[in-house]
Amino acid sequence: MTPPGDDTVTIDLDQREDGELIGIILAAARRGDFETMARTASEVSEMTRNWVTHIPWDDLASLDGADDELARVVEELTGMWEPAHLRNPVDPDEEYALDKNAYDFYRPAGRNLLTRTEDFYDWVQARRRTETWQYSRVLEAAPDSVAQITNDLGRRARGINFNSQDYLSFNTHPGIREAAAKAMHDYGPHSAGSPMVLGNTRISDDLEAALGDLVGLEHVTLFPTGWAAGFGAVVGLVRQSDHILIDRLAHSCLQQGARAATRNVVRYEHLNVEAVRRHLTEIRATDTRNGILVVTDGLFSVDADWPDLVTLQRVCREHDATLLVDVAHDLGSMGPGGTGVLGMQGLLGEVDIVMGAFSKTFCSNGGFVASRSPALKQYVKMFGGSHFFSNALSPVQTAVVREAARIIRSAEGDALRARLFTAIHALRDELTGRGLTCMGEPSPIVPLLIGNEKLARTANRLLFDRGVLAFMVEFPVTPTGSSRFRLQVQAGHRPEEAREAARIIEGALADSRAYLSSAFGSAPR
Amino acid sequence: MYDAIVIGARCSGASTALLLARQGHRVLVVDRASFPSDVISTHFLWPHGMSYLNRWGLLGEVLAVTPAHTTVEVVNDGISLTGSVPVELLREYFRDLHGDDSGVVQSYASVRRRVLDQILIDAATGAGAEVRTGFTVRELIVEDGQVVGIRGRTADGEPVEERARIVIGADGRNSFVARTLALPKYDERPRCTFAYWSYWSGFDLGPAQLHRRGRLACAVVPTNFDQNMVLVWGPSEWSREFRADVPGNYQKALDFVSPELGEMVRAKGTREERIYGTLDQSAFLRPLHGPGWVLVGDAESAKDQCTAIGMTHAFRDAELVSAALDRWLRGDVSIDEAMTAYGDRRRSQNAAAYHDYVCTLAEMRPYRHDELQLFVALRGNQQETDRFIATHADVAPVSEFFQASNLFLLNDAAKESSADHAVFADFAETSRSYQQNMFA
Repeated sequence: MTPPGDDTVTIDLDQREDGELIGIILAAARRGDFETMARTASEVSEMTRNWVTHIPWDDLASLDGADDELARVVEELTGMWEPAHLRNPVDPDEEYALDKNAYDFYRPAGRNLLTRTEDFYDWVQARRRTETWQYSRVLEAAPDSVAQITNDLGRRARGINFNSQDYLSFNTHPGIREAAAKAMHDYGPHSAGSPMVLGNTRISDDLEAALGDLVGLEHVTLFPTGWAAGFGAVVGLVRQSDHILIDRLAHSCLQQGARAATRNVVRYEHLNVEAVRRHLTEIRATDTRNGILVVTDGLFSVDADWPDLVTLQRVCREHDATLLVDVAHDLGSMGPGGTGVLGMQGLLGEVDIVMGAFSKTFCSNGGFVASRSPALKQYVKMFGGSHFFSNALSPVQTAVVREAARIIRSAEGDALRARLFTAIHALRDELTGRGLTCMGEPSPIVPLLIGNEKLARTANRLLFDRGVLAFMVEFPVTPTGSSRFRLQVQAGHRPEEAREAARIIEGALADSRAYLSSAFGSAPR
Repeated sequence: MYDAIVIGARCSGASTALLLARQGHRVLVVDRASFPSDVISTHFLWPHGMSYLNRWGLLGEVLAVTPAHTTVEVVNDGISLTGSVPVELLREYFRDLHGDDSGVVQSYASVRRRVLDQILIDAATGAGAEVRTGFTVRELIVEDGQVVGIRGRTADGEPVEERARIVIGADGRNSFVARTLALPKYDERPRCTFAYWSYWSGFDLGPAQLHRRGRLACAVVPTNFDQNMVLVWGPSEWSREFRADVPGNYQKALDFVSPELGEMVRAKGTREERIYGTLDQSAFLRPLHGPGWVLVGDAESAKDQCTAIGMTHAFRDAELVSAALDRWLRGDVSIDEAMTAYGDRRRSQNAAAYHDYVCTLAEMRPYRHDELQLFVALRGNQQETDRFIATHADVAPVSEFFQASNLFLLNDAAKESSADHAVFADFAETSRSYQQNMFA
């Protein structure tokens, strides 16, 4: 379009909009009409003149003969006149893959439950095509400190393995394998049915006793998965008029259990015991009749930190509230005799309810709920639906966990934990020494803070080919904007492997930052 | 020899000069413009922006001539939310970023730059900073790779050379300092909005209203001189067509986004100035500092206008950089330590998440079904509505609102459903129609 009024003075001269005036100036520049350029510039608003200070608005006439300067001014004005991104094409697939989050798809539109998932699938496909989809990788062989995997495009890689939750490296332990073989021989692969019917064996009874001994709470119930234990404990105990106070970062099974149990849920600030006290006081000021369950993890699985459980348990007792602690990641892998965060804080036998999972140190599936109350045990078995209405853990699984529990309590367990922590310190020290940020406390989980999702996804893509298997966590596991690599260390990691991995990760991050041309670091605030 | 020379005497520059001068340092601040004068700006101050003014003792002067409110109405495709930024979150913001939470106020205001910038300059002068307006910087003096001063021309055309221990670039997205040092741009997000606005008298709607429908948005905000700023914006892909008839399309956009506001402006409004516009709002970061120089405000991090956060961020930078420089100038820390402290705050995870939030919003894609349902779920949930507004304004971290367990809880606590809102009636068709450029 040719802007109107090239050479004419319009009636409402001082009302013309700046874009129109800049159009006139550019047209005049093409004609070499410096007089019109200068005259029109004088009409450009003070707003624009003060904003675009690199244009010599008062001296456009003097550009006559100064070709370089004229070219610069024309280029700058064109930049204001034409949207920049029309001149700056990008790979639409990659842009889509990197700029979105899973939460963008949480509430799909439409009445057809089958077809309305397709928008999300398009995004997953874009992530896959650009090799930024970190999920659904599969193992090609038994994982050890090194593992061979295939990503979901079928590409293979081999790398130092920080994806296994096998903190004491039991998966390759001869005693563990022998226990599995013996149970297989004695009982076969199937658990006959629900543990409420005939799903349990003598091994299950032994296991309950061993776990009770480990956490100091003698009444133990087994669940088919850790998730089922957390969900089952919460929905088994809490009713609609009751209250739940839950750490914002507690595990998904507990969050979802809370949502399913009651609408009276308060998500308190991570680790903040004072906030719990405040909420409890508020609730008890108006409700003296109903129950309150306070829910926290022991070792938090994405932040690698833990609460002051001594104070938390005391605060709960002061307000007639019940405390539930999830020790899935710390039990067996740390603390005196493998007693985890409970043992470290001198709380064995002192916490109201403890739940855990066998999927980490105990080298199996499954979970448990423990307390000092035989009544609570029977109640949770009846009303925690995931116990009653699931098949029991298989005999092989219970035998493996029982053997794991035995080793954990033995001198060999102490030696394995010592090796594990040598590798943990080697990894953390090397990462920190390279200027990276490890969150939390020394524990089998080493969260390496990245922050921006784009940076994390790009680094994840590079690491795949560079010999480190590290799981990138982003929303919904972490809040948006605080993605990280979760490195899970094993007793089988040699300190040199840990240091080598740190070096590779640092290189991948630096290259990703350069690739994205990003200046953001990972300091939290 | 000055302790610091500040180039640019507006929100970030005059404030930085003011704070450094109050700390007892010798400061020269220069600006090409004469004052009072306007500059392209949405000139909105969120409550933390107002709180900075209060902390500096300047809020009373601003409020004497500027209307302020606490609640804001945000209407997305007909789904209305009203709320305010909670004091507790404001306190948390100041504690986290600056280590003290004094002077927090909950109100916001739209202050014309010809009003605000003059107040800041007067305050800087009063604090002992030397302010030279109408001063054009021609070059930076660089010795051994270190910026050590400036050469320029006074308003009378007199050539001048001045030296300082540090030169602070507070000269906006088109920063002379950045251009002269040939600084690269990082984290560029070229997609942005086009925005057109003017000043209208003849009506008073009270608190600010922000409306969004499809790919277009408008805001009506009371400002100085008994006028309202009426701003419309949309995706820059549509700017070429919009520009073909600016006054006509300005009204057309208003009528589309909010027929009520469109009618109000048409029937009762008198336009007091020409229509202003800007297309050049792509986001980027620049390096924060180098030998002898540091950047603040839009010069270090420019963003789209769509969350109207620029001036508030400029004030934030002024407090951060002056606190850091003060420790260095006193000899408590090295310049590297001081700049690292500033850089950590300005290039943090939260800053990255908010950068992404603004840039994604600035693409002006039609709201998706799930986003609109989130707005429905927020209705009647005042605490979370307020937290959403605080998140939008970069008071509360994006990560704390957009967290899975929070979104699940919001969903569960919803008091209304999509059945209560017209936009969901034929959503797929409506959504498709929003993709059409209505100015083509």
